[in-house]
Amino acid sequence: MGRRRRRRRVDPADAARALPEAIAALSQTLPAGPSPETFRRAKFDRPEAAPALWRLLFRVLSPQLADGASASFSPEAQVRSVKLALRTQGYPRRALAQLPDDGSQGGRELLLALAWLLARGPLPERLLTQNRVQLGDEMPVCECEALASPGPPAPSVEADGCVDIRHLQWLMGKLRFRWRNLMASQQEQCALLGKIHSYTRGCHSDRSLGHLSVTETELLRDPEGGRQLLRRLERENARLQAALEWRRRELVFWRWMVGGRGPQWSAARTALREAVGQDLAALRQACERGGGCSLAQPHGPHRLVRTEAGAPGGPGLRAPEVIEALRSQEARLEVVLRQLQGQCRQELARLVGAPPGPVWILPPGR
Amino acid sequence: MSIVTVQLGQCGNQIGFEVFDALFSDSHCPQGLCSKRENEAYRASCKERFFSEEENGVPIARAVLVDMEPKVINQTLSKAAHSGRWKYGQHSCFCQKQGSGNNWAYGYSVHGPRHEESIMNLIQKEVEKCDSLNGFFIIMSMAGGTGSGLGAFVTQNLQDQYSNSLKMNQIIWPYGTGEVIVQNYNSILTLSHLYRSSDALLVHENDAVHKICAKLMNIKQISFRDINQVLAHQLGSVFQPTYSGEGSFHYRRNPLGDLMENLVPHPEFKMLGVRNIPQMSENSLAYSTFTWAGLLKHLRQMLISNAKMEEGIDWQVRPPLSGLPTRGKMSLNKESHFNTSIANLVILRGKDVHSAELGAFKDPALYTSWLEPVHAFSVWKTQRAFSKYEKSAALVSNSQFLVKPLDTIVGKAWNMFASKAYIHQYTKFGIEEEDFLDSFTLLEQVIASYCNLGF
Repeated sequence: MGRRRRRRRVDPADAARALPEAIAALSQTLPAGPSPETFRRAKFDRPEAAPALWRLLFRVLSPQLADGASASFSPEAQVRSVKLALRTQGYPRRALAQLPDDGSQGGRELLLALAWLLARGPLPERLLTQNRVQLGDEMPVCECEALASPGPPAPSVEADGCVDIRHLQWLMGKLRFRWRNLMASQQEQCALLGKIHSYTRGCHSDRSLGHLSVTETELLRDPEGGRQLLRRLERENARLQAALEWRRRELVFWRWMVGGRGPQWSAARTALREAVGQDLAALRQACERGGGCSLAQPHGPHRLVRTEAGAPGGPGLRAPEVIEALRSQEARLEVVLRQLQGQCRQELARLVGAPPGPVWILPPGR
Repeated sequence: MSIVTVQLGQCGNQIGFEVFDALFSDSHCPQGLCSKRENEAYRASCKERFFSEEENGVPIARAVLVDMEPKVINQTLSKAAHSGRWKYGQHSCFCQKQGSGNNWAYGYSVHGPRHEESIMNLIQKEVEKCDSLNGFFIIMSMAGGTGSGLGAFVTQNLQDQYSNSLKMNQIIWPYGTGEVIVQNYNSILTLSHLYRSSDALLVHENDAVHKICAKLMNIKQISFRDINQVLAHQLGSVFQPTYSGEGSFHYRRNPLGDLMENLVPHPEFKMLGVRNIPQMSENSLAYSTFTWAGLLKHLRQMLISNAKMEEGIDWQVRPPLSGLPTRGKMSLNKESHFNTSIANLVILRGKDVHSAELGAFKDPALYTSWLEPVHAFSVWKTQRAFSKYEKSAALVSNSQFLVKPLDTIVGKAWNMFASKAYIHQYTKFGIEEEDFLDSFTLLEQVIASYCNLGF
């Protein structure tokens, strides 16, 4: 006689709590996450829920914006930004694009968009990684992540009628100066980091690191800063806990979203997952072909550690390796740049109507 | 970020000294009208930018002094050392034993290449002392012989060797009735060369500064020292520290870059003028109070009427009414015409600076049609007062300020060139007629571009 499998009795009270708890967990891991009640209202397309969801999507789709920076975007700007970002990522539903720009409607559509983003990949985890508290001085060693995720959509300016070429020349010149200023700022930052690292040699309890980072130095200098850092770490911990909770409970959320069409939904979801997986694989290939990383080590930011010449370093990348990889990438990009310049030259000649001849294109910086 | 200054010739060295002295005095001024902490931040920012530190604590100006004769450099070095407050580096000078008699071509084609290595080495040493290099100031006269020819050569070298660094030439525009016969030749050669290799040309007109000394400062016997001090005051009011943004209390790290990005991104429009208000003798200062509204009203009228100072402003000049076509091509003969701007930067220092109203500077009628005020106008502020002035405002403008003086010089040079007068002095040292013609072409283009701003 086989053992009778007893179905576990689910306490109805527990079942009722499960959904709000799942949504609360999701909300806590996301920036600007609204309350479970807001989610519920959104599902019923109640207008009061729409603004909160627009704000949530805005924060989710432009994670590189600092906490305070989103306040400088008006509600209309946030709505337009969300629409553009979703379109860029290939979101298929036109109903969302047609929602009014004042952010007053569309809770249900927005909830669907959020679910689409969640289904595509590990969204909460990715956001947490991007915004994590950094104790060391970090620098990226490759461009892969930056290339794979589009930045915040820039406001597009409609050029109605003629554009004065002097205005364009002005803008080009401004871009060049900004680039030079950025270079100078980066060099300054490197020089100062070098100073801090060499002055604090021997101060770190972790011998393999040997010196302090800027954050760690500030910790010692300013106790109040230390307390703030502690609070940030505690908040981050809470969000990480919430992320784990979310993963445990997310099935409840998905069931609620699709209203019980279980087998259909999982089939659809599997299909979606496959399609997205293929997209990502293609993107990764294109990235590597087009001069992405040739590094053996993991991509993403690394902590900067300064060692004495000749001293054995710890695990991780060595500077010469990174420099080599960057140099070869630079060479590849130079080739692409020359190709593009050649194309521009030919296009200009075609527009001018003359056979291609010498066209003086000044190199940047002059 | 730090700025390295190259002082060239008699002019450059005398002015350079006054500039560093003005910057130092201001940064140590006890009457900053702000908290002690703010004052210290201001002083530290100024120090990092313009001075380096030595063991015994006397700040050393980040400067390289170059001249073909030793007299002025020695005077400059000793004046600085004498003050006991700051000094020049012991090994920051380059000079020769003999002068070169105001010959631009000699300065450019002979002195330049001959002493290139030594001069560039000195500059390199100064650059290495900086944690990070913001860029270069090159202070030089436009029309004298050595300073101007050598200055053009050095600027070109800086372009080649430090192509990513910013370069601003502080150019001294000669008196209209100058002493040097060939000053107009020198001027056009200097300007055309600098236009190709420099990022920005900040022009200081001797005539204008002279008037300021006479009318505003009430100086009876105006010496070069007086002129240079006014000039230094103007530069200081532009480049002393300012907050990095609206609502920020951190000092801007890259003033040169921010200024250039806002004022000279277009390669055809690189000529900048500076105006400041108020400007008066110390005695009068004690009895004067100002409002921001009054100061800015005068500054704006100085801009649109092309006045050089706050006295004798022509209040009749008005911006063209919007919607109506601007008056025809700017006539160079008319005395009173409206000065169209491409871009303007206003710098405010002192008490209640955040309450200053700048709407009048954002009037689209002030600017050329192809650039809107939101892109064309920028403002820097700090509540730390400058040099004992409770409130002061400076304006750096990329506008039609210099079209008339430039056209005058080009016209005179052309007339001389038509009869080939004195050309042999130049061809003797490798500056051919071709080079003159290239210079004329470039400058005519610049004049035309600035004149067409009215459209």
